[in-house]
Amino acid sequence: MREGKARYLFLMPSVCWILVFTIFPLVYAARLSFFSFQLGRGMSFIGGWNYVDVFNYSRFWNSIITTFFIAAVSVSVETGLGLLLALHFGREMPGNKIFRSLLSMPLFATPVAVGFLGLTIFYERYGPANLFMSLFGLQVPWLSNTFWAKMSVIILDTWIWTPFCFLVFLAGVHSIPEEMYEVAYLDTQSRLKIFRFITLPLLSPLIGIIVILRLIEALKIFGLPYSLTTGGPGTATEVYPILVYRMALKHFDFGYASALGFVFLAIVMTIVITFFKRLRRIYE
Amino acid sequence: MTSTRQQTMIGVLVFSFIVGVISAPSVAREFTPAEKELIVKSGVTPEREAYLKTKPYKGITLTITVNRAGKEGATSGPLYMFGELWGEQTGGKVEVIEIPFSEHFQKVWIDLFTNTGKYDCFLAGADWLGDLVANDYVVPIEDYMKDPLFPQWDPATIPPSLKQVWTWEGKWYITPNDCDGMVLYYRKDILQDPKYQKKFWDKYGYELPVPPATWEELRDIAELFNGWDWNEDGSVDYGITMHLKVGGLGVYHFEAMSVPYVISSANPDMWWFDPKTMKPLVNSPGHVEALKMLIELSKQGPEAAISWRLDEAWDCFLRGDAIFCFTWGDLGSLAQDELKSKVKGKLGCAPLPGTLRSYDPRSGEWVEFTKPNIVGNVTSIGCWSAPVSRLSKHPEATYDFLAFMATREANLWNALYGWTGNDIGRTFTFIKPYGSTDVSEYTKRGWNAEDAKEYSGAYYKNFYNLLQGPPLRIPGSVSYNSTLDLYVSQAVVGEVSPKEALDKVYDEWERITKKLGRAKQIELYKASLK
Repeated sequence: MREGKARYLFLMPSVCWILVFTIFPLVYAARLSFFSFQLGRGMSFIGGWNYVDVFNYSRFWNSIITTFFIAAVSVSVETGLGLLLALHFGREMPGNKIFRSLLSMPLFATPVAVGFLGLTIFYERYGPANLFMSLFGLQVPWLSNTFWAKMSVIILDTWIWTPFCFLVFLAGVHSIPEEMYEVAYLDTQSRLKIFRFITLPLLSPLIGIIVILRLIEALKIFGLPYSLTTGGPGTATEVYPILVYRMALKHFDFGYASALGFVFLAIVMTIVITFFKRLRRIYE
Repeated sequence: MTSTRQQTMIGVLVFSFIVGVISAPSVAREFTPAEKELIVKSGVTPEREAYLKTKPYKGITLTITVNRAGKEGATSGPLYMFGELWGEQTGGKVEVIEIPFSEHFQKVWIDLFTNTGKYDCFLAGADWLGDLVANDYVVPIEDYMKDPLFPQWDPATIPPSLKQVWTWEGKWYITPNDCDGMVLYYRKDILQDPKYQKKFWDKYGYELPVPPATWEELRDIAELFNGWDWNEDGSVDYGITMHLKVGGLGVYHFEAMSVPYVISSANPDMWWFDPKTMKPLVNSPGHVEALKMLIELSKQGPEAAISWRLDEAWDCFLRGDAIFCFTWGDLGSLAQDELKSKVKGKLGCAPLPGTLRSYDPRSGEWVEFTKPNIVGNVTSIGCWSAPVSRLSKHPEATYDFLAFMATREANLWNALYGWTGNDIGRTFTFIKPYGSTDVSEYTKRGWNAEDAKEYSGAYYKNFYNLLQGPPLRIPGSVSYNSTLDLYVSQAVVGEVSPKEALDKVYDEWERITKKLGRAKQIELYKASLK
């Protein structure tokens, strides 16, 4: 009995932590989403009108499309690049450790700082990116064109996050028993076939995990586009978190911002649950 | 290939220069002994002289918020210098709290709303006042202004256009500091060159007007000079440079341009809203015309300007690569710094161009003019000047410091140095015959005499124009303006047509008004126009 009580006592800090920092803000935000609440300007209950308003708002749809476009492209590129790099640097070769360390460095950069760095790199008149392009007679409107602004965000996001995919894949590549490759080499000399029938199937659970982890993170992208383009030009890079930020901290419309937050939570949860169900079905 | 290599080399050098300038250690700024003496004696009454001997604010520390720019940066830099000087006189201390521009209003608002009272005063944009007064967050300063114990500054030195943004229903709330309005800067040397004047005549069939009196004339000139090397420095030059990045204050280009398309003698005040209904006028035919013109102008400059902030746009003009730039007073004084500017002595300044027709929302018809309809411009976002917080524990000391910075000599010093970010607007900052100052006040601070006369004349005409676009300064102004910013940018990049963009702004402004309460907004909007 005493042991039982002590168990609850040890659990208390974690329970308190979750109640204060997770459950309370969640419940409070859920409550707010049913109110018209403008900071400093009163609060009134309006039922589900904030939610109705979300779906009638053109910027909601624009930001959903923008967010998913950026997330889909960057996660695909990062996963692909990370896998290629892991396959390449997974082999024994001189200077491997140095390359691996160098490759993983961008992961430690703050997205906001990378965004500001991007401002100088993609500076259209004299920035290094266009200086390089000018060698081929090209000038790219990196930040002033709606398409290229999205691409700039994707390039920088890829630069930050590819090392994460690379490191996870590298661990995966090293965990594949060498004997399997030795046996495979008896059947074929084709590296492509070995990759297709040995490496890829064995890495596929990892690919699933990386894609889902990166997707969740990529859908929350904020600091990078905010510091690089402030969501512009126009609304070309106004990703969902920027929209929520603007509603809450520019317009002080916390009720509506909360509703926006919960709608997005529902969308992301649906994607994640569907993905995990599919993943489970594959492995069962 | 050689030219590509040359361009690459120039690019590398310019880029290295920019990085070098950014990373170079800053030079501490300080008053000269003569400046110090003039400033501390300015606005001092015999009563104050005696008062100062008691070191009345000993042990008191004031807090003032400002847009983050550093100890030597625009707007924030002078606060450190004046704070120290004021401290020497009064025994008090000033703590400057720098907040990024994009978060400044939010931080102050949360401090006031939550009754925290961390800040005694805030160097506020003119568009904040409606929110602050409506919620009783700031104190009126008229009693302080009459008190001879405080530094004396003369309200009569302030043009009516600027007085309107620092008062609410005629009552003073803000002590003057910065005076913001946009004027047109142009390359006088190039536009007066007979070779280019002939070229203009040949293409457009009328004489090159210097300065342009209408936006159409400005567009023609900008078009002629865009995309070729007219300054013969080996690189492509432009007609106009603007700052059009979302959040980069590009919306104030539109704001300044749209005034003469809507405001005229037939309609002196209905610009953004109908004061009776609070229905937005932002998608009126006048506003749509103005946005079309802004889009046309954006094509007469570097494409990159769509992603430029203020400093990048100014830099293009200062390097001598653009004919026009219409912006705030900082550019005129920055042009005098030969380390950064190639246009010193070549500067032309004029009030912003006008229009030959203006849309009257009252009658719903266009009004035609034989002479250009030129309207003054006081920018709602700027005029960075401070009210005293209702929550301040030391309102007298706070007002004392703000009034110290508003005295004649302090304000003149502030206005004539480009780096301070504080611009001219009071009578003693204008050169005779417009104001009371001699051109030597400018030249001794490094100005070119001709540039100074052009600059001072343009600002006098701008601020003393009887027709002004009444700045938006009601609760929610920050929201209204940021929404407008977003859709103006959408139209400029061609995502939507000007009409579609402004229709979207209309819808969003309606949402904001509904949320803030239409009846209350009508009452406050009417008050803001007084």
